[in-house]
Amino acid sequence: MSELALFLVRIGFVAVLWVFILSLLSVIRADLYGRRVISRIARQNQPSLSTESVSELGIEDADSFEPTHIFIITGRNAGSSLDIVGKKEILIGRAASSDLVIGDEFASGLHAKLVLVGEDWVLQDLNSTNGTFLDGKKVTTPATIQAGMNIRIGTTNFELRA
Amino acid sequence: MSNVSITTAIPMLLKAVPRSRNFEAVLLFWVSGMHAFALAQVQLSVLQRMQWDMLFYWGLPTLAALVMHYILRKHAVSSDGLLLPLAFLLNGLGIAMIYRLDLAEIARGSVDLYAERQVWLTCFAILAAAFIVRVFKDPLVLRKYPFISGLGAIVLLAMPAFPVIGRTINGATLWIGVGDLTFQPGEIAKVLLAIFFAGYLVSRQAQLSEIGARVFGVRLPRAKDLGPILLFWIASLGVLVLQRDLGTSILYFGLFLVMIYTATGRGFYVGIGIVMMITGALVASRLFGYVESRFDSWLDPFSQSNYEAVGGSYQIVQGLFGMANGDVIGAGLGGGYPQLIPLAESDFIFAALGEELGLAGVFAILSIFLLIVYRGLRVANSHPDDFSKLLAMGLSFVIALQVFVVAGGVMGLLPLTGLTTPFLAAGGSSLLANWSIIALLLITSHSSLRKKPV
Repeated sequence: MSELALFLVRIGFVAVLWVFILSLLSVIRADLYGRRVISRIARQNQPSLSTESVSELGIEDADSFEPTHIFIITGRNAGSSLDIVGKKEILIGRAASSDLVIGDEFASGLHAKLVLVGEDWVLQDLNSTNGTFLDGKKVTTPATIQAGMNIRIGTTNFELRA
Repeated sequence: MSNVSITTAIPMLLKAVPRSRNFEAVLLFWVSGMHAFALAQVQLSVLQRMQWDMLFYWGLPTLAALVMHYILRKHAVSSDGLLLPLAFLLNGLGIAMIYRLDLAEIARGSVDLYAERQVWLTCFAILAAAFIVRVFKDPLVLRKYPFISGLGAIVLLAMPAFPVIGRTINGATLWIGVGDLTFQPGEIAKVLLAIFFAGYLVSRQAQLSEIGARVFGVRLPRAKDLGPILLFWIASLGVLVLQRDLGTSILYFGLFLVMIYTATGRGFYVGIGIVMMITGALVASRLFGYVESRFDSWLDPFSQSNYEAVGGSYQIVQGLFGMANGDVIGAGLGGGYPQLIPLAESDFIFAALGEELGLAGVFAILSIFLLIVYRGLRVANSHPDDFSKLLAMGLSFVIALQVFVVAGGVMGLLPLTGLTTPFLAAGGSSLLANWSIIALLLITSHSSLRKKPV
């Protein structure tokens, strides 16, 4: 092979490497701006929004559960509620530093937490002594909360309400 | 969009899986092409012609990567789409460079060849990763066995010191061997240690971060909670003393510090840990000759006495000369003299690639590592479960720290250590461990509750 060809190949390989890396930036951009960008592209890909897809969107709206507050049903703080709009994480426990303080003898200092994942609230037990129950079932792995689900810690019952 | 007709014509099959999988397939195709490009370039510039045996070095790893892709489609369909192509790209670059060094060895009349073995080991490691994805599916399974993994890690770490199977190569007791087969158990131990730390810390999180008396505004943890950190400090220094390897102890202790910091969010642990590690290393450099000679070759590689000493700075200096010869765009694969660097196929593969791909190539390789670590941290960030978060954090950090220590050692920024360059260096244990890390990151990202864009 001639010198020139070898030189071009030499430059070419490094260039291909960089084109590859730079092209991955498009994926990372999608990462940073999240679903908004992707859903817009997806909508462009389906130019004709037929009645079918509109009704699909309608169902999705009814499905999505956007709670605004935690309402305590039973326990020492029964009847009180905590506003959760705009919050991302809510620590629940007996400790005064918790976001939701429950004066319950069966609650641990840092008992459980609610995390906003996408549009869903996820309940996670923080290795509490007496456990956290979602609709009567013990929470061992993080569980997504649906509308009307009851959360119990010790003798305190509460739920997320819209 | 200009090509609406094409996008609407895409069959439902493609829409049924998350975008990441199809993206992965495209990237794999591209990476496989680059692998072939690299091998062809090596053959053209060293042999001046192409040979059929290129198909062996190219085809088998590509086949293994496709099997992995198929397993991901079947069993972890919403996992991250970049990790597999990125790791495979580095692996392919490593094979091309090792093959290039083999050609130089053949020309020299040596029979000490690595490339063929590296191809088989790559296939084995990728298939092992596919097996992990197939079996585990969810990293939470591993949470149940922190102490078994911890114990396993300690046994693996201690194995090279066992009488019959232990091997000492180039002054470091890091290998076990039966006949011609050698294995570096410390590489697997780092994965098990990350599982152990994640399992242990997730259950001690609150105690470590909340409890303790305040002294001068700093909350000191209780002796009971500080115990493990002291234990690990002593253990990692013990590795340094017994196995004569600085890099391994830095890696394990660094992993521990980062995971305890992630779990508790307290800089206090990192501060005291770094102070303890530096103190330990300085004391060790005074007490043990081999650490001292490593430090000397690091601080002054170009002095005549260090250059000529046995186990001195000869290797570092050869690597630096090689990288200087590479300049900005490199000598081209097959165009430089990386065979002049001792251990260019394993410890110094970074310098060999630096010579042939140049500064631009080295930055490309570091960017690929950066992207792998970024994807790993993203998995940790988006996962709702604390154990999986910690595990993904620890595993990605292990890759980052290892690349930093190895590349820093080769470039003369840090003292030289016995760690391997992930995915690039010749050696089965390193490939197996790093592909297992990729497999664990993939299943963690698959199990994340966050909805993936489809």
